[in-house]
Amino acid sequence: MPEWKKAGKLILSTVNFVKENMDKDIPQVIIDLRSSEEALKGFIQGAVSIPSEKVVNMKDKFPADKKAPVILYASDTNSAIEAFKIVRGWGYSNTSILKGGIEAWKRSGYNLAQGKPGETIVYVPKPRPGEISVEEFKGIVETLPSDKFILDVRDEDEAVQGMLRSAKNIPTQEIPKRLLEIPKDKEIIIHCSTGVRAEMAYHILKEAGYKGRFLNANIKIDKDGKYEISKD
Amino acid sequence: MKKIISIFVMCMVGLLIFSLSVFSQSEKSRIAPICKQCHTPDDKILRGTFVNVSQKAETIQMLTGTATWIINYDDNTKLIGAERINKIPKEKEIAIEIEERGGQLYAKSVSVKPPVKVPEEKLINIDELAKLIDAGPDQARFFLVDSRPEPRYHEGHIPYAISIYDAEFDKHIEKLPEDKDILLIFYCGGVT
Repeated sequence: MPEWKKAGKLILSTVNFVKENMDKDIPQVIIDLRSSEEALKGFIQGAVSIPSEKVVNMKDKFPADKKAPVILYASDTNSAIEAFKIVRGWGYSNTSILKGGIEAWKRSGYNLAQGKPGETIVYVPKPRPGEISVEEFKGIVETLPSDKFILDVRDEDEAVQGMLRSAKNIPTQEIPKRLLEIPKDKEIIIHCSTGVRAEMAYHILKEAGYKGRFLNANIKIDKDGKYEISKD
Repeated sequence: MKKIISIFVMCMVGLLIFSLSVFSQSEKSRIAPICKQCHTPDDKILRGTFVNVSQKAETIQMLTGTATWIINYDDNTKLIGAERINKIPKEKEIAIEIEERGGQLYAKSVSVKPPVKVPEEKLINIDELAKLIDAGPDQARFFLVDSRPEPRYHEGHIPYAISIYDAEFDKHIEKLPEDKDILLIFYCGGVT
């Protein structure tokens, strides 16, 4: 985990993140920290209303999974700081404050949901579209089935430090012009060092008509191709 | 007598060609301009970028700025920073320690530029950064850059950071502040 995050310091997320999760049906926990009256006038879809001053008593309402992405929003960034400290203090490492609060959401031109916001937090983790499980990934690396192609999309500087056996290195940003180096008749198994660039590569390849999946986890590879995988 | 003269002429021509080639080699730049930022020119070391390798001919082609060099190697050539010579990425910065063998250049060692080590005095720790964040960029005069891929930024970033993904940094230099006295701080995810 990055040092800043580990130290429990303030972290801001953006409207783009919340909207993308929503569009891709990726589970997230959104908390509306404003007063119940404010929330009734319009809230971000999927949000649960917990006014700031009540957060401290709501520990039991939060999901069992401490890695759940928890997004707190108020009318602006600063009004959510106290709640952030409380929730982060309970160990929810992926807690963030929506930068600019609900005002930023409105400014981006997104609609507010009407009616009554949710009262209970529901969080069921789900793999991201195109994500391969760590177990299956390991299996493929060990057995190297002939219908799979392992693609390492880290930068060359990182790849020279050590690569998986029989992996091919093409940095994400170079994929569009190097498609000919990737076979179309195999399933492309993509990895980077944290999962982010692998996911970007997955979408580039999918659009170009390739079949593939990506590893959404941290992976460290040494000179001999030995590797370690961990999930945030 | 005629024969002796012709041999003599041939020797002279040969000597001329030889000295010319040595002369032109000494004129060729042995260090690429970019490498001069950290290294001083050295007759025994070529510094530049890797072009390609011919395993059949056992030669490495490298570029020192605009000059091209073809250097022989063999199993005794020491390789530092890469598993095999053909694993060196194209355009990667390399240094080749050379010596002359039979009128040709031979690589005693090939070293691939290691990832840049940031000197201690250029590092900022979490507590120092937190103090700056508390004061805010206007008062503390800093500019914070999140170097991770953009989706990571959206997911969660340090307050006041702006996103410039490292791999695309060159294309976005205009995002940096005009005032060059402002402290620039970069961070990534800590995993590389």
